[in-house]
Amino acid sequence: MSFARLQHGGPFRQTMILVGLAVFVVWSAGPVLWLVISSLLQQKALIQQPPDLSPANFTLTNFTTVVGAAAALGRGIFNSLVVSLFSTAVALALGAPAAYALARLPVPRANGIAFLILATQMLPGIAIAIPLFILISKLGLIDNVLSLGVVYLSFNLPIVIWILRGFFTSIPVGLEKAAAVDGVGIFATFWYIVLPISIPPLTAAAVFAFVEAWNEFFFALILTRQHAQTVPLVIAQFAGQYQTVFGQMMAAAVISVTPVILLAILFRNQIIRGFADGMMKG
Amino acid sequence: MVFVAPAMIVLAAILGFPIVDSILLALQHVQLTGGAVSQSWVGLENFQRLFADPVFWKAALNTSYFSVMEVILVTLISLGVALLLNHPMGKSGFFRILLIIPWAIAPVANAVLWKWILNANYGVLNGILKSLGIIDYYQVWLGTPFSALNFLLIVDVWKSVPFVALLMLAGLQRVPQSLYRAAYMDGAGPLQSFLHVTLPTIRGVIAIAIVLQTIWSLRVFDLVFVLTRGGPADATALLNFLAYRVTFNFLDLGYGSAIANVIFAVTFILAGLYVWLLWPRQPGASR
Amino acid sequence: MFNSLSRRNFLQAGAAAGAAAAMPGFMTRQAHAEAVALNVFAPLPPDPAPPGAAKFSEEAFEKWKAANAATVEYETLAWPQLHDRMATAFASGSSPWDITYNCGWVPEFQSFLTPYADKLPKALVDDLPASSFSTVTVDGKRYGTIFTLSLLTLFYNKEHLEMAGFKAPPKNWDEFKTYGKELTRDGRHGLVLNYGDPAGIGGTASYWMVFLQQAGGKMYGEDGLPIFKSEQGVAALQMMVDMMPSTDPGSISYASINDATNVLLSGRASMMMNWPFMWNAGNDPNQSQVVGKLASAVLPAGPAGSASIDGTDAWTITKSSKNPEKAQQLIEFYLDADVQKRQVLDTGWLPIRLSVLADPEVQAKAPNAAVVLEQAKHPYDSFVTPDYNQVTVAVGTEVQKALQGQKTAAQAIADAHDAVTAIVKRRG
Repeated sequence: MSFARLQHGGPFRQTMILVGLAVFVVWSAGPVLWLVISSLLQQKALIQQPPDLSPANFTLTNFTTVVGAAAALGRGIFNSLVVSLFSTAVALALGAPAAYALARLPVPRANGIAFLILATQMLPGIAIAIPLFILISKLGLIDNVLSLGVVYLSFNLPIVIWILRGFFTSIPVGLEKAAAVDGVGIFATFWYIVLPISIPPLTAAAVFAFVEAWNEFFFALILTRQHAQTVPLVIAQFAGQYQTVFGQMMAAAVISVTPVILLAILFRNQIIRGFADGMMKG
Repeated sequence: MVFVAPAMIVLAAILGFPIVDSILLALQHVQLTGGAVSQSWVGLENFQRLFADPVFWKAALNTSYFSVMEVILVTLISLGVALLLNHPMGKSGFFRILLIIPWAIAPVANAVLWKWILNANYGVLNGILKSLGIIDYYQVWLGTPFSALNFLLIVDVWKSVPFVALLMLAGLQRVPQSLYRAAYMDGAGPLQSFLHVTLPTIRGVIAIAIVLQTIWSLRVFDLVFVLTRGGPADATALLNFLAYRVTFNFLDLGYGSAIANVIFAVTFILAGLYVWLLWPRQPGASR
Repeated sequence: MFNSLSRRNFLQAGAAAGAAAAMPGFMTRQAHAEAVALNVFAPLPPDPAPPGAAKFSEEAFEKWKAANAATVEYETLAWPQLHDRMATAFASGSSPWDITYNCGWVPEFQSFLTPYADKLPKALVDDLPASSFSTVTVDGKRYGTIFTLSLLTLFYNKEHLEMAGFKAPPKNWDEFKTYGKELTRDGRHGLVLNYGDPAGIGGTASYWMVFLQQAGGKMYGEDGLPIFKSEQGVAALQMMVDMMPSTDPGSISYASINDATNVLLSGRASMMMNWPFMWNAGNDPNQSQVVGKLASAVLPAGPAGSASIDGTDAWTITKSSKNPEKAQQLIEFYLDADVQKRQVLDTGWLPIRLSVLADPEVQAKAPNAAVVLEQAKHPYDSFVTPDYNQVTVAVGTEVQKALQGQKTAAQAIADAHDAVTAIVKRRG
């Protein structure tokens, strides 16, 4: 068995991998496909047994209604963009150095601090919602996009730190030692040596922070009123007390997921080339 | 310390008061409903009430099952997916973008989507299974306790796999080819090189995945809220849903905080245990 | 959208104030008054929303604002999230609204509301069903005004009934059971309901309350303690259990009424208890396969006659409002006869004013209005209390257990009774 063969596997393993990939595609794409179909169908076709997929039932009405009627959706997308970008940028700016220090620098009780940071995630958001509301409303910052972005740091920052800390831990020590020998300080080491080789994990952390902020619902519900409404709240508007306008809700969901997918496509090189740039050779 | 301080200060500023307040609330009886708002210290009464409450124990049992299964399933499926996508045949960008989508869909819409897919009367899952001849009659997937809880589990696994798989994929790609080559030289087959090269190298990533997934699985709420409302007959009431119901529907803030604090304590112990057990103790990192 | 709306309103109100300032003499008092800004917290359409938030009486609304030198800013939210946001704001002690929508939550939020409805003009009060105030009255004071007549009635598929040889809807429990049995055929179910969510108005417990009153029972005695561990309480639940074989088995999993309504609208169920608003949805060709085939009737009578529950969509004024008088005037505008008429003609939500309900044009557009009015002659108590959510979760969960055969009706009622007694006693 050659090394290449070990990596690619024989015919049996290749077949298994094909089957596995097929299962993966059905598992991931099946429900998503149904989401798209639902967004294009009339409601009366969806409640058939089984759902009636004849071409006559397909329509773009859900999309035109959602786009036409809901200026709220446009504003929601804008707000969500601001909240998500802000929260992601700050989480990375504060999280990366913290993660680096906790992974590599002689911080006293680094493990304890890291665990304390993680512990902030353990109290359910539901429990802190009301005190948080009181805090934010005392500051007069209810219904403010940026205050929502700051609140999102409460979950984005710890997770970013934990993701990055794992990666920083495995950077070969030699790199920094070399820098130290050359008399480079830790700030410069971090900025010129560590960060450049960490673009992929930074991207992964950024994707995480962005998506979580983009989709967050509960804090957005509590801490906004009208002007700072984000996309998830707009989507929720299609589910009322007596009626769920399902097709329109799915259309809104398709529209709202598009920016995230575009981002994923845009950064696919970072995600795809992944986290293995030659840095491990040393 | 300059590196860590800003992050710590920001976290303390946002979460300090809410976390402390929520712990203090758990020791109070707060009445909002009816006549007047009242607040009084009651010591551990909320917790005594909690431990005598059969609904709490039912939710605790549901949550244990849900959380254990979720962590196991998500970890295994994500590892499988990551291995598939790391294989030369699975390296296409299409798979990676597809991987992200279930996670990127807004959870509010996702939950409603699944509610329709699983509907007992017009759900597409019933439609497909019946036309394939797998079932004879439409099934009420969310109608019996065991089935309802497991479908919640499946949906949450579906939503949770992408991120964890992405994390593991990242870890896998950092396994140096030279290690595989060395293992190959030593005559290791695919299984051995997985066990002795791959797993040890991504141990840290798996540890993070398990810890994070444990935390998240104990906080599942939105799916319960949309799909079952904890029903039928509290069969799918998870602890965090209970905390929500007591806090926001019953306006029993002290009791709700007590439940949340139990979730906190359980998570803290579990996460601490996992970190202690699984976190790789590598030399070289000064910790 | 709301941004521009409020800005536009502000400009108009500003213009109105300016015009008033130019007038001499008797107008001066108004001229000095600053434009009053009112903040209204309301559900989004298609749930019952006020003019300006829903598309009706918009012109009249603009005129009202101009004439009253007021601006109105709507904060709208999907109905299922209303309670959470209100609860958070009230719990923190700061409510930013003058007027809020309320649905059976008046006793719960009573300490944050003002009993303004005691001061409503007599002409208006006389035109409202007296019993409509029961769910907004606490300790004899009226905290809200119901603005739409929303009672559960029976919706049924005329075609299915005819095919089964029934010429009229079921009149009593025995007929209801027989109809259910006969209508369950050809892959259809006699009845569909949403038994998935135990809580709130429209939840599992509230459906049982319908049967309870039909059986002649009540939830609470004079002392506020539960008295439903009774023959009537058990009979009501037994009736629901007896109907289960002809009820869509999915009903136990339908967490919202929409899930069940879809089954009726697809033509795979023949009968359902539903709210008046359903009429429009059922006749909308985009959603419904049974356009023109639906009819509604008074709910079948139990031993004590027919009975229903009240949807209780009400306007309330918060204690923190700085302009309670102006807020009350706005609510009076919402209940203005013309606005009420446009409400039903343009949105499908029935009016509450008896004079508008009797209007021939209204009756032609909403043929079910007469049925709802007839239903209103029978009891329709929703038994709301400050701990309504807690009570309905406790009762609804026990009802679900009986419906699933885990407990007998008698056992479930006994357990629910104990649970509710504990809840009421804890409240003190």
